[in-house]
Amino acid sequence: MTDRAFDSAAISSTPPAGRPQLAALVTEYRKYSHGQNIVDRLIGGYGWESGWYYPELDVVSLYVDQLPESDLSRERLARHPDLKGYSTIAEALTLGGSELAVDGVLLIAEHGQYPRNEKGQTLYPRYEFFKEMVEVFRRSGRSVPVFCDKHLSWNWDWAREMYDISRELDFPLLAGSSLPVCRRIPSIDLPWGAEVEEIVSVGVGGIDGYDIHSLEAIQCLAERRRGGETGVVSIQALRGEGVWQAFEADSWEAGGWDPTLFAACLCRSLSLKPVDESSRHTYPAAEDLPKLVGSPPVAYRCEYADGLRTTMLLMEGLVRDITVAARLKGQRDPFSLLFYLGSGHEVQPNFFNPLSQHIEQMIASGHPPYPVERTLLTTGLTAAGVESLWLGQKRLETPHLAIEYQVDAGSTFRRT
Amino acid sequence: MPEPRRKKLALITTLWEWRSHANHMGERFLNGYPIDGRWHRPDMDIVGVYVDQSAEGDLSRSKAEKHGFTIYPTIAEALRLGGDALAVDAVLLIGEHGDYPINEKGQKLYPRYEFFSQIVDVFRQDGRAVPVFNDKHLSYSFAKAQRMVAVAQELEFPLLAGSSLPVTFRLPPLELPLGCELEDALMVGVGSSDAMDFHALEALQCMVERRQGGETGVRAVQLIDGEEVWRAGEQGRWSRRLLEGALARSDSRSGIGLSDGRPQDLAHSDELVELVENPAAYFIEYNDGFKATLLMLNGAVQDYTFAAAVRGLPEVYSTQFLLPGQPNVVYSACLMAKAEQMFVSGRAPYPVERTLLISGVLERCLESRSSDHCRVLTPELDISYQAPCASNFCGALP
Repeated sequence: MTDRAFDSAAISSTPPAGRPQLAALVTEYRKYSHGQNIVDRLIGGYGWESGWYYPELDVVSLYVDQLPESDLSRERLARHPDLKGYSTIAEALTLGGSELAVDGVLLIAEHGQYPRNEKGQTLYPRYEFFKEMVEVFRRSGRSVPVFCDKHLSWNWDWAREMYDISRELDFPLLAGSSLPVCRRIPSIDLPWGAEVEEIVSVGVGGIDGYDIHSLEAIQCLAERRRGGETGVVSIQALRGEGVWQAFEADSWEAGGWDPTLFAACLCRSLSLKPVDESSRHTYPAAEDLPKLVGSPPVAYRCEYADGLRTTMLLMEGLVRDITVAARLKGQRDPFSLLFYLGSGHEVQPNFFNPLSQHIEQMIASGHPPYPVERTLLTTGLTAAGVESLWLGQKRLETPHLAIEYQVDAGSTFRRT
Repeated sequence: MPEPRRKKLALITTLWEWRSHANHMGERFLNGYPIDGRWHRPDMDIVGVYVDQSAEGDLSRSKAEKHGFTIYPTIAEALRLGGDALAVDAVLLIGEHGDYPINEKGQKLYPRYEFFSQIVDVFRQDGRAVPVFNDKHLSYSFAKAQRMVAVAQELEFPLLAGSSLPVTFRLPPLELPLGCELEDALMVGVGSSDAMDFHALEALQCMVERRQGGETGVRAVQLIDGEEVWRAGEQGRWSRRLLEGALARSDSRSGIGLSDGRPQDLAHSDELVELVENPAAYFIEYNDGFKATLLMLNGAVQDYTFAAAVRGLPEVYSTQFLLPGQPNVVYSACLMAKAEQMFVSGRAPYPVERTLLISGVLERCLESRSSDHCRVLTPELDISYQAPCASNFCGALP
């Protein structure tokens, strides 16, 4: 490893032959938006292992849907002369020509001002961007690898169509949250092939935005269980009082969840709200929970085809992080961990670093490091959870989520 | 079967308020703490407490009422629980925070040695000694620190001391292979002297003590600050390659990262010089010829990171010592788990010589600072010890 001077000229120099060229389609490029976080890492580098890492690719075109006052895309276009801005998705993909002219596409449609529907879903235009993109693929008779940030769409039918199109046109599609690839405390993975009976997560945020992160955290562990993924047969979402009633049920069979898994989650948290102001860290008694949880809690209870049961809990106020615990057959103590996004001082969102690594590897190899079926399933669970709440916390059968897939034993989270 | 008797602890502290170490640490024995995914309640109780200073915001009295311990006016009474003989099974000595004078070297004169002396007076008078945990460095004075370790050896009681950084989570969970041929090491720290530089120095030490041959002691130290630090880097006195390694582990927001979100390669950017308010470099020369450096880079980062080069290996080993945030400050649970382990087993899980050595290194570095930043020979820091084979930090992989 040699010392590398930070040389702004290096950014604008002609890339050597063979460096993949990417188009980035983003809704918004402002400080800490997903578009900024991911594209900035790919164009300027980031800390990785014991050094500064410059990706072996070039983002050459940028489409930005909204330009708020805090927009940074114009600054980035000026800073990186090889990065060109385009006013349509088609132009960004063709670099102003008539045919697809890039080697990969980043579709980052998170953040920005978009309408919200009556169910509480923000209508981010991932599907719309995707459709415009595949229009260029079809017209050009060629497709390239695509990364889609977070869930595929707020709308299940559209997400399924996006997935089906990727199969039809046979292009690698990587999607999802950064949770499955971020650091973990402890730095462990669910034993591959383990028999998993039940999983509980305790997380933060609201529906349609943060539920997907927790669901992906659960799913990236659950999919490693014996037999692989079998899909989900039903979901029931609860909110507010419904969650507290389920909490009292004390087991899945009685309508709740395994309390030892819930406890393991709280004991992996690094941000558990103390029961009184004079204490720094206490374990809350059951009766303390309602006053500690600030906004109405949410639970998604999912039954999988092979009998696995999972509960995703959003308990904003009780914690400020996302933890998961699993009961493995024959094991006395739960398997549990924290998905580490930061703690303490204000941190850089460096969980985008491993995501950037995976994006680059997928573009270079043409193989997604983990199956997009994971995110197809979590997209469906997110939409179904929101739907269940909308229908009055109704249990819904989910035959459309009979999604089967296999992962191999290798771990893809940030370990080094 | 009768329940085994619960151990009794005395907590001897300077100050007990929300932000003080007495609260971070003491609470672990009052409320329990999380470890390995479960809530652990130690089989021991704080029963006798001595608090040296009672300021506004004191929590010791309300905690005493809530948890049923007694606050005594003297250390001896806290150890004897008001009786006439030592009545506790272990002592927590937490002499951090409070209003104490600062000497010409910039050291805050916390009365750890003085408290310790009163504790061992009781041990001697009552003919029995129990394990003692001493928070942070043993004393601002190496001579006093040395006497503390000597007394513990004489009276044969286990003594554990130091910072929580060696035992907190690491990102990634790096442990240097025991006996590795270390070529160079660099620590990046932040915060004030002589509070936070101690933490950074101990974090550095818990890594480098694993080098081939074990710890051999320190023969000289030097502390420089200001522009000199950057010049020393240009001259190769500290390694930019290792700085890059350490900063690659930082998750801090500063400068550009704060103003527009871009990650930045601080190790190779002029912005580092602009961001750091008053850099300081602590150079440590060990008896076996090994050298290590601590850079205090306030303004550029907010976290503690480490990098080392191993002979013959191209890659750099690096990690971040994670200090989880408010209000839980879980690093203090990691440290109290070690104190509890000693209270139960009667054996310190890692040698107090580490903290003794770093108490001396810090004092001599501050002497260097107040003596025109000259190199200070440290023949008295001829302290040898072997690092434990086992990892002692939270989240260590088996």
